[in-house]
Amino acid sequence: MNILLLLVPISLVLLGIAIGAFVWAVRRGQFDDLDTPAIDILRDDPLPAPRNDPADEARDAD
Amino acid sequence: MDAALPLRKTRAVDIGACDHCGEALTPDAVREGERAFCCHGCAAASTWIRESALGDYYNLRTSPAGRVQADAADFGAWDRDVVLAEHSRIVPGGREITVLTDAMRCAACAWLIDRALRRQAGVLDAGANAVTGRVVVAWDPQRVALSTLMQRLAALGYRPWLATGEAREQAQRRERRRWLLRLGVAGLGAIQAMMFAEALYLDTAQQMPVATRDFFRWITFLVSTPVVFYSGWPFLEGMWRELRGRRLGMDTLIAGSTLLAYFASLFETLRGGTHVWYDAAVMFVLLLLVARMFEQRARGIASAQIDALARARPALALRERDGSVEQVPVGDIALDDVLRVAAGEAVPADGVLLDHAASFDEALITGESTPVRREAGEPALAGSICRESSARLRVVRTGADTRLSQLTRLVEQAQSARPQLARAAERVAGGFVVALLLCAVATFAWWLVHEPARALEVTLALLVVSCPCALSLAIPSALTTAHGALARIGVLGVREDALSTLARVDRVVLDKTGTLSNGRPELDSVATFEGMDAPDALAIAAALERGSMHPLAQAFAHVEDDLFAHGVHALAGSGIEGDVDGTRWRLGRADFAASRTDDGAIWLGDGTRAFARITVRETMRDDAREAVAALRDAGIAVELCSGDSADAVASFARQVGIESFHARQTPEQKLARVRAAQAGGEVVAMVGDGLNDAPVLAGADVSLAMAEGAALAQRAADFVVTSPSLLRVPQAIVLARRIQRIVQQNLAWALGYNILAIPLAATGHVTPWIAALGMAGSSLLVTLNALRLGRRERNERRAA
Repeated sequence: MNILLLLVPISLVLLGIAIGAFVWAVRRGQFDDLDTPAIDILRDDPLPAPRNDPADEARDAD
Repeated sequence: MDAALPLRKTRAVDIGACDHCGEALTPDAVREGERAFCCHGCAAASTWIRESALGDYYNLRTSPAGRVQADAADFGAWDRDVVLAEHSRIVPGGREITVLTDAMRCAACAWLIDRALRRQAGVLDAGANAVTGRVVVAWDPQRVALSTLMQRLAALGYRPWLATGEAREQAQRRERRRWLLRLGVAGLGAIQAMMFAEALYLDTAQQMPVATRDFFRWITFLVSTPVVFYSGWPFLEGMWRELRGRRLGMDTLIAGSTLLAYFASLFETLRGGTHVWYDAAVMFVLLLLVARMFEQRARGIASAQIDALARARPALALRERDGSVEQVPVGDIALDDVLRVAAGEAVPADGVLLDHAASFDEALITGESTPVRREAGEPALAGSICRESSARLRVVRTGADTRLSQLTRLVEQAQSARPQLARAAERVAGGFVVALLLCAVATFAWWLVHEPARALEVTLALLVVSCPCALSLAIPSALTTAHGALARIGVLGVREDALSTLARVDRVVLDKTGTLSNGRPELDSVATFEGMDAPDALAIAAALERGSMHPLAQAFAHVEDDLFAHGVHALAGSGIEGDVDGTRWRLGRADFAASRTDDGAIWLGDGTRAFARITVRETMRDDAREAVAALRDAGIAVELCSGDSADAVASFARQVGIESFHARQTPEQKLARVRAAQAGGEVVAMVGDGLNDAPVLAGADVSLAMAEGAALAQRAADFVVTSPSLLRVPQAIVLARRIQRIVQQNLAWALGYNILAIPLAATGHVTPWIAALGMAGSSLLVTLNALRLGRRERNERRAA
């Protein structure tokens, strides 16, 4: 039964790691929005070709 | 000379739907290549989306976008330092603001907003959440003005509103995260604690060495301590509050059971007793935390989408200065400023009424649902809603002195009010606690006399087996699935306790304009008299109707004119009057505007003579007929009550298949009709959308407002129907009935289980593992029973 003295602390350490990871994820806002990110993967972002909006250009020139 | 001028030569035929918002097209639709749009607003939005290579939005979305309002609001005032200071916070490289929008319908909307904002130069970060209706934007004020970004949002059809201030937004976010952390810790900790407890349970022959057993017990103690005290803190806090208030409620029951199981286990661990119940303690906390979370989520989603508080407290006010009107942030208002308040909007600061009398709805302040009439010189309170006609007032109290802060508290109170059903559980819980304590004491006393060695163990088993889990899960789980199911069909519950009333409805009163019709009136024809010509008549009518919240005003929205009306005053059920170019005009029913017999048309006159007769056409909602039939199938009497003329109402009632209809009803008459039905013992539901429906909506037992309607109507309603389909009303009622049945089943089961288990436990027949199994099993059963609701509804949708 001495193996328990090793296994039980290991399980406790794993528990600590799991809780730590969860706390990190919550703090980083990973659970704030569970719906929008799901559709992000459905399409690729277009190639980085920023739209040339006349209005934007005018503003940029300001 | 009477000259009838048909405005439209072709009848509106079904020629497809708007590519952007899905509205039915009219002949004056905007066409661009293969695509057609209902208005220029939608066309511009769609063009922008496609040019920005965001066209995938149309593939990703699951529901059509909202109609884009062509007349984008002025967001110039949002750039002011006062607004920025209160509503945004400084982040590295710029500022961050949270705004609300009510037009986000699905995740694709959030995706579109995200991309659209990120493309603007100067935007550091953008995130939209379709569930809470919030958009968070971080931008660099040096490079781009906030108003430009807000204009972009509005041009896409997502009109932004200022949230209630950055501090409150942050607090809400932190609160949400704290609950998640509690749940996560409870979940992970409880699973681990149960694993260790399992080892102890499996030692059925008591062969485990005492040292190993105690090692396991101490480890379990270590793991369950944070679950009980960190995750279970809301219950402990609730118990403390209840005890201080000298009452016994649900929290006392939950926290009491948890603490008892925990400390009894600790006691047994210390003295080396036969059983420990750490697993029961952590299971209580986990299951009940899940139930509480369900309940909060249901409430949060409904209230976030129609953030009453944000709109009740206007961020901007119209101030008159040197003869001109300017938009200023509420924080800028000083004493003695003269403010203008449009009909249907909230008063921004406490003031004294100038010029003429006006009526105010002070429901949010006083709880009185009928509007209060205030004469000139009398006070108007901040947060009350100006009804029917616009008002001018001189400010007497600003900032923290006004009732605004009090209003905020009131709305927060209303939001945190526990649902009536949950309160029912609370009452049951109060009695349950007392009965249980008596049982426990009696059991302990009996065993102490007859077999002292087992007294403690049996009493503890009794308390563990009678866990209130099932009882406290019974209602929240049903409510959550109910609100989830309702939200999926596009009905948002604003007031939680309305659900049980909705289930008992046996009469539905429908409004015509905006409810059975799609709320978009169109000009049909204009006949003029006394030398007036049609464009002039329309221009005067448009000027009069411009500030009006009446649905018919929309018919004149596209009339271009440069006239202005002064002293505009609306008389509910009759019409509107005001000065245009020095002449006093009346627009409305024939008897009001031109002393003629009412014929259903809109008349323009001076009170005695008629100058124009304008007819307006209404289009029926596509599924109004089916909705009425479905209501009748559900055994509900259907009635049509409208302020419109007898002819129009009769023909409309015939079209949709309603036999019982009442025309020319003033709001008072509508309310009286509802009251009469209520006096006859009927539970009446009102479906409406307009400003004139607000008192009836508030007076009916349960009310549903259509989402396109006036904000005031929505605030008076219990449910807001965000879907354009009227079929949602019968569906919601059927759903509510099903929920009611499930709640009853759940309560019956939870109570039945306890009644069965307590005698067994009291007589010493229940071992701890049977107790734990029974508790978990009954909780699971109750939750699964509630989830049945969501599943059945989904299956039906798939079949449809």
